[in-house]
Amino acid sequence: METTKKLLKEILVNDLKIQGIKPEDISDTEPLFGDGLGLDSLDAVELVVLVQKHFGVQIEDMDEGKKAFASVESLALYVLDHKE
Amino acid sequence: MDEERKIIFVSGASRGIGAAIALNLARAGYDIWLNYRSSTAAAESIQKKIEDLGRNCRLLPFDVADEAAATAVLEPLFDEVVPYGLVHNAGIARDNILPLMQRREWDDVLNVHLNSFFILGRLFSKMMLSKRQGRIISIASISGETGQAGQVNYSAAKAGLIGGSKALARELGKRNVLVNVVSPGLIETEMIEKLPLDKILPLIPLGRVGKVDEVAGVVRFLLSKDADYITGQVISVNGGMYM
Repeated sequence: METTKKLLKEILVNDLKIQGIKPEDISDTEPLFGDGLGLDSLDAVELVVLVQKHFGVQIEDMDEGKKAFASVESLALYVLDHKE
Repeated sequence: MDEERKIIFVSGASRGIGAAIALNLARAGYDIWLNYRSSTAAAESIQKKIEDLGRNCRLLPFDVADEAAATAVLEPLFDEVVPYGLVHNAGIARDNILPLMQRREWDDVLNVHLNSFFILGRLFSKMMLSKRQGRIISIASISGETGQAGQVNYSAAKAGLIGGSKALARELGKRNVLVNVVSPGLIETEMIEKLPLDKILPLIPLGRVGKVDEVAGVVRFLLSKDADYITGQVISVNGGMYM
């Protein structure tokens, strides 16, 4: 769980190129979209691609995706749940 | 070419304007992913010409209106490389006046032009977003701008491409993915063979039909660095027939 969360934070900063923040500055429960990290719907598309690339986990249903994308913690749980 | 070699996917590129675009882009230094549905011999002859120019050409035969087929071909390729450009050119005409038009004539035309834009646009834009670069060019038609009797299906499909491309340009702009439309008028291809040119030519200020390379050149420009600040535009190539 901790490794997955750490990796997710690195993906957010390095691959989604969030400006002015370090991976360790992101809290586990901070909202990824809107008020929190401020990601938008284009970032969501990228995150779907990145999660598939790094973890082999495919997020097909965006309703499910929205829940998973609430925070680093919820996304880590989703990834661990769905990983082969 | 000022950078590393870029790949451009061209749909419907075995004949007509599509084939001219593929060749023109190969001459400009691009590698080509050449899509076609059934004209294998024609596609192979274009492939040979491209390879003679020293460029790569990958043949990708599938029906652009078939989402499962498009996905099955493209997704594994995207694991290796994402093309810089998508040129959506595939098209057919099934002309008939609307009161006599068969449902099938409507559906076929909408499928090949417009549903395929959804299918290809979705697959490519998803990958281009992450690259933070890319160009999507739709080949529309003067019929989509003015409407054309006998072509309610074709005009609707091409107008749909124009609207869809503008909307997509707004969606993808922030990620430096540019979307534009090239809208040809009457171009010397099989598609206009049966038209009464003696009646039509007087309506064209330049007094002649266009050549396929005059369309292809605009596509090449829109893919180039010179067009870095152009998105959401419809560039008409019609000899002044519609302004």
